[in-house]
Amino acid sequence: MPLVKVNGIAVEVPPGTNMIEAAKKVGVEIPHYCYHPHLSVAGNCRMCLVDVEAGGRGPDIACNMAATEGLAIRTDTPKVTQMRKSVMEFLLVNHPLDCPICDQSGECRLQDYYMEYGQHDSRLADAKMGKGKRQDIGDQIVLDAERCVQCSRCVRFSDEVTGTGELRLFNRSNQTQIGIFPGVRLSHQYQGNLADICPVGALTLKDFRFKKRVWWLKESESVCGGCATGCNILVHHQENEVYRFTPRRNDEVNKSWICDQGRLSYKDVTSLKRLTGAKVDGQRAELPEAANAAALLLKGAKVGVVFGAKATTEANWAAVKLVRARLPNARAYVIEGNDPDAFTYQDEILVDSDKTPNRFGAALTASQLGSVGDAEALKAALASGEVDALLVLHDDVVGRLGVATPKALVYVGTFKNATSSAAAVVLPAAHYIEQPGTWINRQGRVQRLRKTVAPAGDSVADYAAVDAIGRAFGGAVIPEMPAAIFQELAAGVKALNGLTLKGLGHGGQLITLFAPSPGVDQPGQAAPAK
Amino acid sequence: MSDVTPAIKKRKLNTSESIYLVEVLKGMAITMGHVIKNIIGELKGQSTFDTMEYPEVRKPVNDRFKGAHRLTTRPDGKYKCVACMCCSTACPAKCISIVAGEDADDPIEKFPVRFDIDMLRCIYCGFCVEACPKDAIRMDTRIYEINAFSRQDMIHTRDYMRDLMAGDKPEAEQWYRENPQHSPEGFLGEVPPVIP
Repeated sequence: MPLVKVNGIAVEVPPGTNMIEAAKKVGVEIPHYCYHPHLSVAGNCRMCLVDVEAGGRGPDIACNMAATEGLAIRTDTPKVTQMRKSVMEFLLVNHPLDCPICDQSGECRLQDYYMEYGQHDSRLADAKMGKGKRQDIGDQIVLDAERCVQCSRCVRFSDEVTGTGELRLFNRSNQTQIGIFPGVRLSHQYQGNLADICPVGALTLKDFRFKKRVWWLKESESVCGGCATGCNILVHHQENEVYRFTPRRNDEVNKSWICDQGRLSYKDVTSLKRLTGAKVDGQRAELPEAANAAALLLKGAKVGVVFGAKATTEANWAAVKLVRARLPNARAYVIEGNDPDAFTYQDEILVDSDKTPNRFGAALTASQLGSVGDAEALKAALASGEVDALLVLHDDVVGRLGVATPKALVYVGTFKNATSSAAAVVLPAAHYIEQPGTWINRQGRVQRLRKTVAPAGDSVADYAAVDAIGRAFGGAVIPEMPAAIFQELAAGVKALNGLTLKGLGHGGQLITLFAPSPGVDQPGQAAPAK
Repeated sequence: MSDVTPAIKKRKLNTSESIYLVEVLKGMAITMGHVIKNIIGELKGQSTFDTMEYPEVRKPVNDRFKGAHRLTTRPDGKYKCVACMCCSTACPAKCISIVAGEDADDPIEKFPVRFDIDMLRCIYCGFCVEACPKDAIRMDTRIYEINAFSRQDMIHTRDYMRDLMAGDKPEAEQWYRENPQHSPEGFLGEVPPVIP
């Protein structure tokens, strides 16, 4: 591993690492526009110019400078500051003073670097070059060519990530402007990322247009629940209201991207399809009251528990504990496949065909009860009367299987569907961004959910809803704190042994799902590894 | 330190004070002195009265007096405000609420759909005026009688603040009665649907 020096601080980095990343390691930020860790190096913004002390000839751009033994750069010399000032002056020559109406302001690199390296007295004598403003280039994106600094990140994104290549830099010199080929519109499912990677306000999101100034928004970490990929996201919210989802970098899962479907799924949080109150026989009820009714229905019945691939692992674990403590003869079922109203799109980049975020979590926990039945087994059991009461976590069992509804159906879920309307007792579960918990994605990565906003209406965390039934039976089945539940879960499920909630960190922990030795924690009906 | 409050010693009145009459005459002498001074002043043509007959006569305020806010307009009559929310960010009392909208016909793409200031919360610091990059909000109206019979009428809305200096300064209550679509109640009616 080559040893390089940044401002005199020595750091060892893998060979080939560029100097922006090397400098980041020692806490030195090198300003840049065109460089992006998940795109190829273009080197055209020139903002990352640094002085080379040894091991090369400078000044040179840090993004295209591979770490080699003995390389030493400096970013703190007056020369470097002067270079940055000059680059900023060029970039701002044709940049309009749009900040008051620009959605990027507050998270704009031009603003940030201008405060440090701006030529605060303009030397510009000529009028600014006017270019096309407010161009509708796609379903999600508005293009303002005037604001562009020609970093070409979006061009590289559409060439390298989506492979669609709709965007290009047209014309030359100061006439250069970003544009889309005539007659073409952005049509891929990753348009929102263009707004994210654009360091300035040239590409902005239609959905977020003029909604909120970004400096008011708070960011909280979470995981997208749209499909089995489990993209890491940041939830942007203010005063308990969610305004957008943006991708959170996780090199192992979603790099820096997220699909538009997932990005816009923040709207589900306030959807009219949310279940916000407990119901008993279609009538609104208080949660403990509904839990009592659920307990009465399940007590002594031939219960089938449908473990939920949309529920947290904690909720599924709570169901396991409930069965062990109170429903000794219950059978476990995990039903594969997606809900009938699920979005059917899938691709090789991020979007999985499996639209459930926690298939493995459900399978792992369900297998703790011995044999796990599938959809056919459940149908047969219901037909023959072997099961006459159901506890369903999130799954739209009725809508998917068209099974004859047993009279005793208890539904714990977030959204209204055929099952919730058929259920005798409905317990409202919080949306996944409103509660703590864990999900296991398609790789077998345990990822952590966090409570970012307060749950809507009377809804509670899904494990708490299951626990409420346990309390109605006479005692809580799981601890109250998420960390304690996870501790119990990690001790109880072999594949999760040794994990702690805190230890999952920001990026999650990979577990071995398909151990070669046959064990009780083998996911019985789980989908094959991808 | 003693926790007993010391008693206040009263001064004993002397003989002339204790019969009061002398003191009454002293007071009347001061009053009559002012009366005579004012009559002489009035005869000389220079009023020495300190009382003003409000509201017919108003005290002139300083040029820098910060009165009720108004919103300025461009020559074409549209708001100068582009809903950048700098004022509501700067506001220490959090009394400005703005909803931005898109103007499809205007090269300045953004404009305020709603611009409400809760005058009951406002502390008249003038930070909003300082923060505004467009000179869209000013406090130069010199209006200091900001009052209404209800809390809702104390919310000054976008069009009211635009018309504040046009013609004779309208009373908020009357103005809202004539323009019900811009009244604060009109806004409160537009709350997003509640999840059933």
